[in-house]
Amino acid sequence: MTDDETRVPMAGDEKVAWVYGSTVLVTSGAYFVWLAIQLSTHEPSEIAWAVPMAIAIAASIGLVIVLTILASIGSAVWSALRGRFQEPDFASDERDRAIKQLGDRSLLSALSIATGGALILAMFDASGFWIGNYIFLVCSVGALAEAGTKIRAYRRGL
Amino acid sequence: MGGPKPTRVSNRIRDLRTEKDLTQADLASRLGVTRQTIIAIEQGKYSPSLEMAFQIAAVLEAPLDDVFSYKGDDAD
Repeated sequence: MTDDETRVPMAGDEKVAWVYGSTVLVTSGAYFVWLAIQLSTHEPSEIAWAVPMAIAIAASIGLVIVLTILASIGSAVWSALRGRFQEPDFASDERDRAIKQLGDRSLLSALSIATGGALILAMFDASGFWIGNYIFLVCSVGALAEAGTKIRAYRRGL
Repeated sequence: MGGPKPTRVSNRIRDLRTEKDLTQADLASRLGVTRQTIIAIEQGKYSPSLEMAFQIAAVLEAPLDDVFSYKGDDAD
C-alpha cells in the first residue's frame, strides 16, 4: 500500500465541528425540551429559566473542550493500535481558515437575526423570558448552522 | 442534472506528483499544509489560493497552467 492510499484522519477542525455541533444539539435540545415541559404547566413569568440556561451554556462549553480532547486522544490511540502513525491533527492551513470563515459567516447571520429580533421584542416590551429564550434559540440554531456549514465544506468541498 | 461542482479549476497535481515520485504527504510537508488539503485540491474540492498555486507549481517544477486549468463557461 502506498502512502497515498493510507487512510487520512479527519482534519482536527472538522472533528471540532462535529463535537461542537453534536454538543450544542444535545445541550440546547435538552434545555428546550425542559422549557417546553415547563411551559405546558406554568406561565412564562413563573419559570426560573436563567439557571437552567446558564447550565446548558456551561455544559456546551465544557463538553466541547473535554470531548475534543478525548476525540483527539482516542483517534491517536486507535491509530497507534493499528500500527499507524497519525499526523498531528491540530495543524490548520489556508483551507481550514477558509472553511472557518464560511462557518463564521453563518454564525454572524444568526447573531444579526438574534440582535434585530431582540431589539424588536424589547420595543414591544416583551418580558426577559421571551427575549432571553429567543436569543438563546437563535444562537443555538446559528451554532448548528456554523457546525453544519463547516462539516459540509470539509465533506463536499468549497 | 447534477449539482454544481465545488470548483471549476481542475488540476494535474496527482500526475505531476507521481512523475516526480512525491507522495501526498511529501507535497503537503513541502507546502506546509495538511495532507487532507492536498487530497481536497487533487479531488477538485478546494481551489487553493493564488500563492499556494504558485508554490505547488514551483514544487512540481511545472508552469502554473500545466498544473491548473480553468474550465470556465465553455462547458455550458
